[in-house]
Amino acid sequence: MNEARRSHWAAVRAVAVLVATVLLVVWTVFPFGWILLTSLKEPRDMLAVPPKLVFQPTLANYEALFLGKQRGAYASTRPDFPRFFLNSVLISTGAVALSVATGILAAYALARFTFPFKNQLAFLFLSFRFAPFITFLIPLYLLFQRLGLYNTHLGLILAYQLITLPFTIWMLRSFFMEIPVEVEEAAQIDGCSWWGVLTRVMLPLSMPGIAVTVILGFMFSWNAFNYPLILAGRQTFPVTVGAIQFISYEQVLWGQMAAASLVAIVPQLLLSLSVQKYIVRGLTMGAVR
Amino acid sequence: MPAVTARGRRRQNALLPYLLLAPAFALLVGMLYPFGLGLYYSLTNYWLQYPHLFRFVWLGNYVALVTEPLFVYALEFTVGYALVAVLVQVGLGLAIALFLHARIPGRSVVRALMLMPLMMPPVITALMWKIMMASTTAGILNYALSFLGLGPINWLGSIRGAMASILIIDTWGNLPFVSLILLGGLQSLPGEPYEAARVDGATPRAILRHITLPLLSPFIVLAITFRMMDALRIFDVIYATTVGGPADATTNLHMLAFQYSFQWYQMGKGMAHAVVLLALVVVASAVLLRFWNRAATHTAA
Amino acid sequence: MGTRRGWLIGTLVGMLALLGVVASLPAQDDSALAYYRQAKINWRLAAGQSLTIGLNKHPFTESLLPAIPEFERLTGIKVEYLILPEQEYFSKLVADLSQQRGEFTVIMTGPMRNWQYATPGWIMPLDEFINDPKLTDRGWYRLDDFYPGLIAANRWNGKVGGGVGEGPLYSVPVLAESYILAYRKDIFDQHKIKVPTTIEEMAEAARLVKKNAGIDGIVARGTPAVPTVATGFISGIKSYTDGKWNEVDDKLNTTFHDPRSVKFTQTWVDMVRASGPSNWANMTWYDAMEAFAAGQAGMIADADFFAATYEDPKKSKIAGKVGYALIPAGPGGKTYAGLWTWGLGMSKATKNKDAAWLFIQWATSPRTLLNATVEHRNYNPSRVSVMNDLRVQKLMGGWGGGSYVKTQQENLKTARVAWVPQPERTRLGDIWARSLHEIYFNRASAADALKKASAEVDKVLQEAGIKK
Repeated sequence: MNEARRSHWAAVRAVAVLVATVLLVVWTVFPFGWILLTSLKEPRDMLAVPPKLVFQPTLANYEALFLGKQRGAYASTRPDFPRFFLNSVLISTGAVALSVATGILAAYALARFTFPFKNQLAFLFLSFRFAPFITFLIPLYLLFQRLGLYNTHLGLILAYQLITLPFTIWMLRSFFMEIPVEVEEAAQIDGCSWWGVLTRVMLPLSMPGIAVTVILGFMFSWNAFNYPLILAGRQTFPVTVGAIQFISYEQVLWGQMAAASLVAIVPQLLLSLSVQKYIVRGLTMGAVR
Repeated sequence: MPAVTARGRRRQNALLPYLLLAPAFALLVGMLYPFGLGLYYSLTNYWLQYPHLFRFVWLGNYVALVTEPLFVYALEFTVGYALVAVLVQVGLGLAIALFLHARIPGRSVVRALMLMPLMMPPVITALMWKIMMASTTAGILNYALSFLGLGPINWLGSIRGAMASILIIDTWGNLPFVSLILLGGLQSLPGEPYEAARVDGATPRAILRHITLPLLSPFIVLAITFRMMDALRIFDVIYATTVGGPADATTNLHMLAFQYSFQWYQMGKGMAHAVVLLALVVVASAVLLRFWNRAATHTAA
Repeated sequence: MGTRRGWLIGTLVGMLALLGVVASLPAQDDSALAYYRQAKINWRLAAGQSLTIGLNKHPFTESLLPAIPEFERLTGIKVEYLILPEQEYFSKLVADLSQQRGEFTVIMTGPMRNWQYATPGWIMPLDEFINDPKLTDRGWYRLDDFYPGLIAANRWNGKVGGGVGEGPLYSVPVLAESYILAYRKDIFDQHKIKVPTTIEEMAEAARLVKKNAGIDGIVARGTPAVPTVATGFISGIKSYTDGKWNEVDDKLNTTFHDPRSVKFTQTWVDMVRASGPSNWANMTWYDAMEAFAAGQAGMIADADFFAATYEDPKKSKIAGKVGYALIPAGPGGKTYAGLWTWGLGMSKATKNKDAAWLFIQWATSPRTLLNATVEHRNYNPSRVSVMNDLRVQKLMGGWGGGSYVKTQQENLKTARVAWVPQPERTRLGDIWARSLHEIYFNRASAADALKKASAEVDKVLQEAGIKK
């Protein structure tokens, strides 16, 4: 009797899990499906009422992105999209790398040491992410112009620290604090300096945290819009600014915008896929402990 | 190891944390100038087209805010929206994180898919949802709903619908963020408490309440803090869909500040709005971080 | 695991390499320099200098891009450009102009924007360049070839409340945009609906379309911002009042609450509420245009050149089914539609003013503008010679069975800048649009909402020192 009831509940649970999973996946992925369809549609099909799910697909939108042959006599000779894409890769990678490098040090200090003004400094770091971008966007623009940072990759990498650094520091700090102090003390007894503790104990043990921080930081950088709009020029626009260029004065090239958005996802996808295993590895390490 | 006196080591240790913080500090301190300038503008009546009118008004802009009816509404909407959004997003995010942490089939695939909304810039996300939420017949959302026998919803064209739509779009884009932080937290939790609890024969619900949640609390508070900071300042989604409407219903402080600064070029007033928003964020974060400190010290124990 | 990571890295590297190759593809070449060399000026007088041009995303700017290397060879001036959609373009432009950094030398602008930029002296009057024989060959450039109304629209003497058409020329127009009524001829014919000649008839026609054809009777912009009132609405209200009412009177008092304005506004909002789309309140220009092109509405009173989309079978479902008419007139029987021109202007912070003018002259010369329309669908042409060119007539002549060209030309005779010149036009328009929302959602009567809006604008004008 118990056997039957347990398997009955197990079945109900399994169905509930399945339904929940399906709902979650549909909710998450459905808009992407829509974007994918849009990127394959001719302009006429996009206007269909009711919305068309079956239509004659075309690769013209993707062609336009990379080869510049756009519809409606938009004959850009040199497509800007590949350049915008490269800019995004350069700037986001640079921004995250810089944040992680400096953030690891700062997070370690905040996690493991006690010193005057510690909490105030921690709060200060967080506070740089507080301000609404308009508070300083025009002054920042001025500053960049005067320093020659306007329309440079370096300038954007520095500006992006406002987005990534506070987040990185606080995330890493939380993950560092999860590591039991005994493990560290053991390493110190073995003769490790702070650098050794950091590199041999903290970093390996907080790999899942670092992986998560890197992915999220990269995505925040990649998808920033307001900063590069004002602080970058045509040579340094990332894809986010590039993607809205399909809003023209007399039409909106939804197909190309959709195609650009999808192509822009690829590096983020690749990064998150390649980092997935660090999260998994962290899991097994945790179990061993 | 070179021989260092105890005193030397103490001195070295006293300086070390500051040295470790120095690079990060150097990166961010440059931002103080532009921010200071923005603050300075808020104390003036700086209006881009009328430089000849420029003068100091000290707190005049701030005083004027109180009598401006739209400001009061924007303030209410900013706070109200942030509270609801954080509640919904962290609540759902926690549920999803717990769900994905458990051993369900295909969870690595689901986990990878969950990241996808984060891969879109908010501007594009908003535009995409705007098309899906378009008029009663053309939008795919209403079309799908019609199959379920549910009537067309005026997502963006009605006052209530617009507010709900902003929440939906914001949640869609940021739920993965919360889930991921909490999932990362869950996966970095130490194993001993769980083993001990299993040995003691504790129920899953008890484990959740007495072990998981308390151990996870620093991450939960962190997720709440970040989402709160962003929800208070939400802008791109609103600008791309409702532009603060209909009838000013989705106008929050950030939107208002943007309109004053970038649409109407009244920098002084715009900055005043922005500084008020900033103050809100500072206060909220200070309060939340106190919770974080408490949570972090508890779990360390 | 190792191979998977290797595969991923390989893919990424491959993508980057491909992109690097594509990004460095050379631009097209074109040698039509002979035409430009006919001008009796020295194109190379600014050789070696460089220009950065701020452009709005537009068919005209798209038409310039392939020709820029040609300009560089003609003049020896290095050109860098930046293109953004309208909203983002203006944000970036103002950041630059207000700080007078001189980042942008040549800019795209138009009448109402000029009032904002000229007031603090951010832009250069162009007359001195046009009148300098060393810089401009007037015989070749033919300023008189532009529709006079368009040139007039870009002149302003700086006087708040008047003076459009006099004073310095701030930008050279590259297109003409006005507002007409586009309607579904097939539906109107089928249900014997009369093409409206008054606003009341328009509301009635919208009602009939909705009742008989099951689609929205009318579609219109509705976001709470100035574009909503700047096209069909303001054309309608100015026509309704026979061009005698202005939103700001000569004492600079705002007059939204004038009874005629109240009546028109009430009729318009009622029409949109009863027969318009349910999500009117967040419809942008492209929402409205696309809805009409998708066959979801019976009428639209908006930019005339949207016809290029309506009549393109690749982009619309109603090609060939559209008729065009003037926006309903007032009791006097005349339509006073609004006017907008995009044009090229010059930032005052520019160090290379002569170089900037050479570019403007080149970009707005007869051949360049002709090419822009014929090859790149830049509508409507701002030069008479371009409009009369046989190829252009052929392109546009078929629209609406000829009713488009007829209506557009007729309209252009009486179209004029609809706004009272003052630097706070955007603010005024935003407040106006928001009052429409108040009325639409029944939060206030038309009279109350408009009275409140008038007071709000008055306050702004006072704060700005424009009004006493």
